Amino acid sequence: MTAADVLGQFLSGLARAGVLFLIAAGLSFIFGVVKIVNFAHGALYMVGAFLTYSFTVTLKLPFWWSIVLAAVCVAVIGILLEILLFRRVYGRPVADQLLLTFAMVLIIHDVMRLAYGSNLRSVPRPPLLAGAVFLGDVIFPSYYIFIVLTGLAVLGGFWAFLHRTRLGKTIRAAVGNREMVACLGKPLPWLFTTAFAAGVFVDGLAGAIGAPLGGIRLGMDFDIIILAFATVIVGGFGSLPGTALAAFIIGEAYAFGIWFVPTIALSLPFIIMAAVLIARPWGLLGRAGGGEL
Amino acid sequence: MIRSGWPAALSIVLLLFVSMATPGAAQQPPIKIGVVGGLSGAAASIGQAWADAIKMGADEINAGGGILGRKVALSIRDTEFKVDVGVREAKDLVLREKVNFLFGAISSGVSLAISTSVSKENKIIQITAVGNTHRQTVELFQRYFFQVVPNTFMEGRAAASVAAKQQAWKTYYTIGYDYEFGRMQAGAFVETVKKLRPDVKIIGQHWPPVGETDYTPYITSMLAAKPDVVYSNLFEAGLAGFVKQALPYGFFQKVKFVSLADVSSMMAVPEMPEGVLGYTRGEFYCENTPEMKKFTDAFHQRYKYYPVSYAVMGYDSLFMLKKAIEKAGTIETEAVVKVLEGFSYDSLRGKFTIRPLDHQADVPEYVGWTVKDPKYPFVILKDIVKVPGSQIIFTEDEVKQMRAAAKK
Repeated sequence: MTAADVLGQFLSGLARAGVLFLIAAGLSFIFGVVKIVNFAHGALYMVGAFLTYSFTVTLKLPFWWSIVLAAVCVAVIGILLEILLFRRVYGRPVADQLLLTFAMVLIIHDVMRLAYGSNLRSVPRPPLLAGAVFLGDVIFPSYYIFIVLTGLAVLGGFWAFLHRTRLGKTIRAAVGNREMVACLGKPLPWLFTTAFAAGVFVDGLAGAIGAPLGGIRLGMDFDIIILAFATVIVGGFGSLPGTALAAFIIGEAYAFGIWFVPTIALSLPFIIMAAVLIARPWGLLGRAGGGEL
Repeated sequence: MIRSGWPAALSIVLLLFVSMATPGAAQQPPIKIGVVGGLSGAAASIGQAWADAIKMGADEINAGGGILGRKVALSIRDTEFKVDVGVREAKDLVLREKVNFLFGAISSGVSLAISTSVSKENKIIQITAVGNTHRQTVELFQRYFFQVVPNTFMEGRAAASVAAKQQAWKTYYTIGYDYEFGRMQAGAFVETVKKLRPDVKIIGQHWPPVGETDYTPYITSMLAAKPDVVYSNLFEAGLAGFVKQALPYGFFQKVKFVSLADVSSMMAVPEMPEGVLGYTRGEFYCENTPEMKKFTDAFHQRYKYYPVSYAVMGYDSLFMLKKAIEKAGTIETEAVVKVLEGFSYDSLRGKFTIRPLDHQADVPEYVGWTVKDPKYPFVILKDIVKVPGSQIIFTEDEVKQMRAAAKK
């Protein structure tokens, strides 16, 4: 085992963390603002991946346009879902929210089955990112660099949006004190729709960027959504830096786990989650009681 | 008015007489076959291909006059790849729809559960052409269950028998799904390679979960160990992800790769490199016979995709049952079981025989090297070795020992 091997393993953990963060970021953000546990998040991620397949393979659009288009389409679907359904369960018991969002999972699955059938699909990586970067003996696939950079851009983008734009500041204010913001004449429902759309846009983007990683198929969301929830819980619901930190820890724990302790590697994310829940129930960087963004 | 009604009434009476006098198909109820397998879920495309082939076969049989003059009627049910759903659907087929035979399932686990809790209990013949754990023919064997697919162990043995011939391959790493199929098949592979080549070393084993999408940490850790060969039994989505993620690392230049190479997985992995030692249960291109060509053309024309091995095996199982019923002269269960024990059938994959001891057919496994072919949008195998079922099937002694061990 050389230093290069260790660095290589570290980088593969980083790539895993990047994917995990992109999916978990939207989930965490949506919860932070509108306080809904959105089970359909994974299904929308899958829609993003399938749409990317349609745009790149069927319609032969350039990859870069395809991922943006796919994310925009998923955001539009998200906006419709929010206006028609989800906003009706804000503030309702979590069980109601789970029922509604889980029903959406089943509906989205059947729609995707009708549209795409049950065969596996594959999206090629863009030629620019098909290769790898060599750092001495260490190999890092270019596509992973793109994923990690996108993850950082999403993290920075959310921060800038919330702290540097008027809309973002109003959303933060609404999270802190809904009544006061409403009294000031701000349209709360539309603020929430905007926040929901932003979260779902990143989700669709995650699906689009994740599409060329492996195969696209029905059910690809189930495998990832559980890990995404674990990531959000470890990081603290609503805290994006927390989600990023949690994704990093879980990604690296898994990468080195399968190397050194393969028998328990699969359960490591959940062991970490249990440990965090015992020590800090509100997550690593979350705040007790939710609080501000 | 009354008079003009006469011809109609007369013709109805006549028709009644005619139909009563016609022997065969018109009166006899159809032979009902319950087709129960995963048509959605983890391996949906496999289940679909299998069911499509059985549908096509049933139409061919009915167009040719049926079996013993009786039509074949299929009831197709989806197990969603879940044990509880599979058992429920199979029970419903047997108890409510009163099917005469069961085909299925796709998942080994579902197939096994249907065998022990539906087929056995209700004394209904069950034939599996895909779900292939050996436990259903060894420890949990029951006499109404028949397996016309190489079991998990036979596949691992066949792949190992060819891998062991590569003298330069001395250190192996294995990666297999963390469930019955993956563990058993990798186990059989390792055991056989070690037996044939005592100098070979297994330097590590990975067991990713079935739903894994990111294989990168597995890939980097295997490359760090520098094995000569990596053996894998990943398939479909998992294999697609693995190959895509391994390519940028130059994985396939650094190590030799042994892999499942069934067409349904290969369709999902257009990036699959050439020169991989692949193994499969019997694809349309593996047999160069007029029967296989006829089947392939008919299937491709009807469904617009190539019949993967699961379609080939599903088709084989239906026509084997037809031949057996015709030999028995009845669809009565005990009589058909008696015929099937020791029954030899000329299938699309050549002649195979069902062994009375465990009802496992000595079906072959095909091992070859991947190559791109401009005719197909997926890699196929060349220089194929057809490993005969008789070489890879458990010996009767092995079966008896394993059964005795399981009783303890």
